[in-house]
Amino acid sequence: MKNPLVFIKIILSVLVFLLMLLPFVPLILTSMSFGWQWPAILPELISFRAWDYVLFGSSGTWQAVGVSLLIALIVTAVNVLLAVPAANALVRNSFRGKWLMEAIIFAPIIIPPFVAVMGIHLTFLKLGLTETVIGVVLAHISPTLPYMVRAIMISYQTLSIDWEDQARMLGAGPISRFTLVVLPHLLPGIVAGASLSILISLSQYLITFIIGSGQVVTLSILLFPFISGGDPAIASAYSLLFAGMAIMTLLGLDVLLKKYYQQKSRDTLG
Amino acid sequence: MKNSVFLASSFLLLTLSACSQNVDEQTAKETDQLLTSDWQTIADSAAGQQVNMYMWGGSENINQYIDEWVAPRLKKEHDVELNRIPMNDSQDIINQLVDEKFADKSSGSMDVIWINGENFKTAKDNDLLWGSFSGQLPYFNDFIDKDAPEIAYDFGEPVDGLEAPWGKAQFVFVHDESKSPNPPKSMNQLAEWVQENPRQFTYPALPDFTGSAFVRHVLYETTGGYEQYQQPAASIPDLETKLEPMWDYLNSIEPYLWRDGETYPESLAKQDQLYASGEIGMTMSYDPALAASEVLKGRFTESTRTFVLDGGTLSNTHFLSIPFNSSAKAGAMVAINELMSPEAQTAKLSPENWGDLTALDFTLLSLEQQDAMNDVDLGAATLSLTELEEHRLPELSSDYIEIIEKGWLQHVAKE
Repeated sequence: MKNPLVFIKIILSVLVFLLMLLPFVPLILTSMSFGWQWPAILPELISFRAWDYVLFGSSGTWQAVGVSLLIALIVTAVNVLLAVPAANALVRNSFRGKWLMEAIIFAPIIIPPFVAVMGIHLTFLKLGLTETVIGVVLAHISPTLPYMVRAIMISYQTLSIDWEDQARMLGAGPISRFTLVVLPHLLPGIVAGASLSILISLSQYLITFIIGSGQVVTLSILLFPFISGGDPAIASAYSLLFAGMAIMTLLGLDVLLKKYYQQKSRDTLG
Repeated sequence: MKNSVFLASSFLLLTLSACSQNVDEQTAKETDQLLTSDWQTIADSAAGQQVNMYMWGGSENINQYIDEWVAPRLKKEHDVELNRIPMNDSQDIINQLVDEKFADKSSGSMDVIWINGENFKTAKDNDLLWGSFSGQLPYFNDFIDKDAPEIAYDFGEPVDGLEAPWGKAQFVFVHDESKSPNPPKSMNQLAEWVQENPRQFTYPALPDFTGSAFVRHVLYETTGGYEQYQQPAASIPDLETKLEPMWDYLNSIEPYLWRDGETYPESLAKQDQLYASGEIGMTMSYDPALAASEVLKGRFTESTRTFVLDGGTLSNTHFLSIPFNSSAKAGAMVAINELMSPEAQTAKLSPENWGDLTALDFTLLSLEQQDAMNDVDLGAATLSLTELEEHRLPELSSDYIEIIEKGWLQHVAKE
């Protein structure tokens, strides 16, 4: 009885694994190819030119990785602070013009963010926010916030207000009600939103270039000219590095979450 | 509470803008002096400055040439720090400068920008460039033929000293010698070649820069030479009918193109990929040394060669300029001057660094400097400098280019 299930499970995991990893194979091959003519399936020669440039050259890759991650993490932290109260209000209260508020918050999903950024650029120029990390962080919030709000709203929808009422009756103040009852319930939503927020922030090119004016150099800024300019080897190497950076960040998030739950279960048991 | 925050921040803004205004007036005076003072003074005030150079960042060779060849020399010899800022499209920085002009931003981060053609015209029309500085540069005065049309005009627009020439580009066709030993030398021969080698030729869909340049060659050859177009497009009354042989030619080769002409590669990068993988037998480039450096990188086969048409191919000059609000104008002048030095131009000529043709006038160089340039190994895929020089045609002004790009969609792509 059990064996077919295990078998199917294995096949499914292998399939998922292949689907996720297969796209990386041509990237890896391209990044190391030297002469790759049709109809050869594999490159004739291997060359580390692209990797040498990306990892050790004058390209400033590592600093760009640092700046990218810094911006993505700040953007995500700000998003959490903004999205929790916003989601709370949107799910639990009904007020006049709620549809309008929702429309405004979710508009960046539909409207291309650079449309807004063209206008923001002038204002930021006057305020002296261009060419700064803060300016870029602010600009990244508009395309990322909707996803965070959406994810946390879903968490709120499954959290009855009764839970908090019960805690209140047991004497919990507003702060402990939030940290002990609401937050643990929201956490999966926050993590889902944070993953999206990090990924979207990392991949912004145009917004980062316009607001950062080239003074805030993220990995996307280095990567983009190669993708559109036609050096497939270097573009592939950068893409792999980019994917690696994103995956490591998400894994890091996952590890932190697991630790948190272990700690929590230990606390409740102990 | 809210009011006081608002008041405080607006007060802060007011004081800040008042301060910057004073500084503005001072720096404006100082920088205007740079346009008239002698070179030593400029070099002195450049020492210690950091110069941000905004340029297309999609070529490892060019990036390394700037970072590892030019920047250390500038630092060592002039104490100027050159900081290369990669970007994708010069249009983006022109748009930013338009905004900065509108917002009165007086201390910008762009010190040197790399432009030509349409971007230069937009920048000039919107007063985004600093001033007539090129006459101040020693190497410009020593080694540049100022009256040559390709130096004095940029795609038909008078340069007026607002930008200094950095290099020249010339259109070449790229083919695989082992597959087609006798490349076509005129548009008529190309049409024959295309029919004999179906699906081996194509060109990037307009408005791609290189695809558009290819069509301009068709224009020159099918309508009787370039001379007639050295005037504004509006002054040719029967331009529409004049262009017809060009559309006829393009439509006549269309059925024999890659994918039977049903579609065109969307960019030169895509077309180069088709050539690199052997799917088509010919590509083209506005950079005569690109093929050689692609061979070095192992992307194009060893038997790749370039050729020009007997009737000549288009060439243009690319320039360096200084935006109106650069914060390091003296440093920018020193950097641009250094980039124009015979040594830097010779290094730039090598396909290992870049392969870009020099902007300097060969006859003004000393014999040693000429030898140094002639000694550069251009690679088997690049034509000799004299062969390129002898087949040079001037560019069209941008009003024609617009008409051709619109017309192509209507007459060729849609039919």
